[in-house]
Amino acid sequence: MQSANVLLKKIVRSSVLPFAAQHGMKKDLFPLGRTLSLSFCLKQDNSCNPSEKLDLDAWKKVIRSGLQDEVSETVSERKELSSSAAAREVLEMWRLAGRSVPENISEEQLKTFMECPSKSAKKKYLKYLHLKELHKKNDKRKMDEKRERRLEAEERASKTDETRRNSFMCLWANGMDRTYGWRAAQSMIFGQPLVFDMSYEKDMSVREVANTVRQIVLSESCNRRSVDPFHIHFCNFKGDSLYHKEFIKHYREAWGKLLITVTDQCYTDVFPKHKLIYLTADSPKVMKTFDHDKIYIVGSMVDRSIKTGVSLARAKRLGLETAALPLEKYLLWNTGGKNLTLDQMMHILLTLKDTGDWKKALEFVPKRKYCGFVSKPVHELKKTLNLINTLKLGKRQEEVRKQFAKNYSKKLTQK
Amino acid sequence: VQPPEKPLQAEEWNRLRESFRSPEIFEEVMFNSMIRCNSPIDVAKSLLTHVAKSKGDIAYNLLIKYLALCVQQGQTSEICDMYDIMKTRFRILESGAYNLLIRGLSNSDQWRMALTLLEEVKKIMIPSRTNYESCIKAASRHQEMNLAFELYHEMLAKDLVPTLDVLQAFFDFSRGMKGAELQKELFGILLYLRENQIYPHKTFMRSIKLWFESIPGGNWRGHLTNIKDSGQCPVCNHQLEDSDLTEEEYNNLRERIIRDVIHGTDTFRKTSPQEFEAFQMFVENRLPFDIVIDGLNVSHIKPRKMHCENLFDAVNCLAKENARLLVLGRKHMLINSSNWKRGIMKEMQNKADFFFAENISEDDAFLLYATLRSGKHCKFVTRDFLRDHKACLADSLTRHLFRKWQRGHQISKKMFLSVFIQQPAFCYDCVVQTTGDTWHIPYKDTFEEKYSYRVPRKWLCIQQK
Repeated sequence: MQSANVLLKKIVRSSVLPFAAQHGMKKDLFPLGRTLSLSFCLKQDNSCNPSEKLDLDAWKKVIRSGLQDEVSETVSERKELSSSAAAREVLEMWRLAGRSVPENISEEQLKTFMECPSKSAKKKYLKYLHLKELHKKNDKRKMDEKRERRLEAEERASKTDETRRNSFMCLWANGMDRTYGWRAAQSMIFGQPLVFDMSYEKDMSVREVANTVRQIVLSESCNRRSVDPFHIHFCNFKGDSLYHKEFIKHYREAWGKLLITVTDQCYTDVFPKHKLIYLTADSPKVMKTFDHDKIYIVGSMVDRSIKTGVSLARAKRLGLETAALPLEKYLLWNTGGKNLTLDQMMHILLTLKDTGDWKKALEFVPKRKYCGFVSKPVHELKKTLNLINTLKLGKRQEEVRKQFAKNYSKKLTQK
Repeated sequence: VQPPEKPLQAEEWNRLRESFRSPEIFEEVMFNSMIRCNSPIDVAKSLLTHVAKSKGDIAYNLLIKYLALCVQQGQTSEICDMYDIMKTRFRILESGAYNLLIRGLSNSDQWRMALTLLEEVKKIMIPSRTNYESCIKAASRHQEMNLAFELYHEMLAKDLVPTLDVLQAFFDFSRGMKGAELQKELFGILLYLRENQIYPHKTFMRSIKLWFESIPGGNWRGHLTNIKDSGQCPVCNHQLEDSDLTEEEYNNLRERIIRDVIHGTDTFRKTSPQEFEAFQMFVENRLPFDIVIDGLNVSHIKPRKMHCENLFDAVNCLAKENARLLVLGRKHMLINSSNWKRGIMKEMQNKADFFFAENISEDDAFLLYATLRSGKHCKFVTRDFLRDHKACLADSLTRHLFRKWQRGHQISKKMFLSVFIQQPAFCYDCVVQTTGDTWHIPYKDTFEEKYSYRVPRKWLCIQQK
């Protein structure tokens, strides 16, 4: 209670009114002061018993007194803000209100934000930036912790002071890189070509293109590390495209030294047509075996909105053979799209090339998408799957209802 | 956590806070539960005081939560206070705070302040439709219909979709008021319902009826009724508009179907140029058809039966009336298999024209084209809702046209009994309509969502004596 009194005294000493008069503030504030004290009295009368003496509106005074230093500048500064500055302020307020908004935002991001066509697009973009920021922060924290731990370990090691000798110099990474380089160079001459069709830029949003490039970078690296790499071709690659910009962002100066073939020509101009097979999930044909003489084409496209048949249309137009992975045949599919990411595709193709074993290759399909490998006839497995689901999710009732609906409709048709 | 019932002292709050498992978010959680339990604001105030005294300041999100509590309880003076505090404390406010302030003030006698706030919001962003809703309702509640309509038009100009509540408020608060201008505006709302194919619900319908009957010297009388299948209103014997599109609308729709549904971004996605051309030739040579059948869809009606038998039944049933039939299918139907017997297929081809598309082509697009090309009398048979095709159409106006056309031309059940129940083709159009001295307004019986393909069967008939 004593502390409250001290605070009140402080407030009285630096009360709002003289201050406002001093700075010639707008008159709006005065009536407010009056209502404030009025409600203050009223509430004291009927809500608390006098013994407690709780000043319910004290917080208003505190928050106003805390204001004093700032008010002077805000009042003088309250001129027209530029639109980007205003947007920045709105963002800051949203952050204070506890929405998912990034703490720092660059000019470029702010521009993208303001160009978003709708409110929900803005919200989504902000959330994306927010999450990205969180990840970055977490990574940094982990890095710092790691460094600290390493320093500690080094300190301890220097105390013991035992330098171990080794017959190899510590050049592991470098040496590995060189080996991979050799292999990739070999594949450039003798390897089986694998084509990435880079003609989907206009079918994708900026973020989808970024995702695509990321996936291609991953697939390129896993190809490089494999025993017998493909000779990767980027076909239909335009020099000043978004793809190009994103690749430079990822590879920087290494982009010029990659051991792959990049061309703006179409694959039909580079290879004989009868050898080409376009891989697409929409294809009616199912791939049976991996053919070492064929050239497989993978569409470099991430499809977040559902655009079915885009790559199939491209193959149809050029009159190419198409194929889909035999996912249904080997896997008991559960949920998710049958279109896989480009790096998963690369893993699968590499494994097929090395072993020809479908089971091994399809291990790279995400586990959440399927329930297991097919060993029995599919319909039997489906039955067990349904049973599992009913047990797991308690779908029993729904099942019963469905059965009832079926019988009921049968009755209707018989009438 | 359970919020306390009475305002607490600082020490008591401290004790509560320490007993909470994560003290750093204690205030937030406490405020949330206060909002949920609708605690008295004095309790919230005591917590704010505690926070202010211990930290010297109150975070924005707590202020917002307190504001939400005030709005929930309609504490007008507190809301005004909060506005002043926030306005001086922060350079600008964000949408959440404005939403609350506008909502809170519009329900009070300070409603004009909500309007000034709306102006403020406009400076930093486009106000939401609920912002407008609050202001419009407040204005019309105080009989300022001109102001309300001004806001309403402003909202429409910003592509915001008004809620049914707002529209209903206009009818509720204009009851018994005079003025040709006002009447024109309200008729405008009814036409808005017509254009957007919106059906009012029962209470809204009642507001409309009461308003009509209250127009001084208008002599309007409203009756609830069901329209006959022939499209005649049993009350005033007036014939409703038929479901046919005008020549212009019809051509427009056909163009759009070809452009957006069949070609889309890439003709190869649904068919191929050669195939489409061949199909066009095929249709031109055999025009016009009376009924176009989606062969594959119809062949799955009875799962126990062979596919071709189902199709055979359908064709037989429809062929009786000497109608010219076109059946669309895919090439795989021609291959003799357990489901597709060559003999039956041959027999069917004597009774109807058949077009077989490639196995990977979409036959629905052909179905639409052939029906539209044959003319207004032509109907089509499928159980499909054709929603994915409707979604391909670029603008909402064309989508409405499509829906209207679909309602009038799709036969789906009637002759085949199936689990699936959809309405048969309507001969009259189910929208708000007027002839000047009568209005016919279809309405939903209940609040709850109807199926998008189902249209209301109940009508409000209003006529001028």
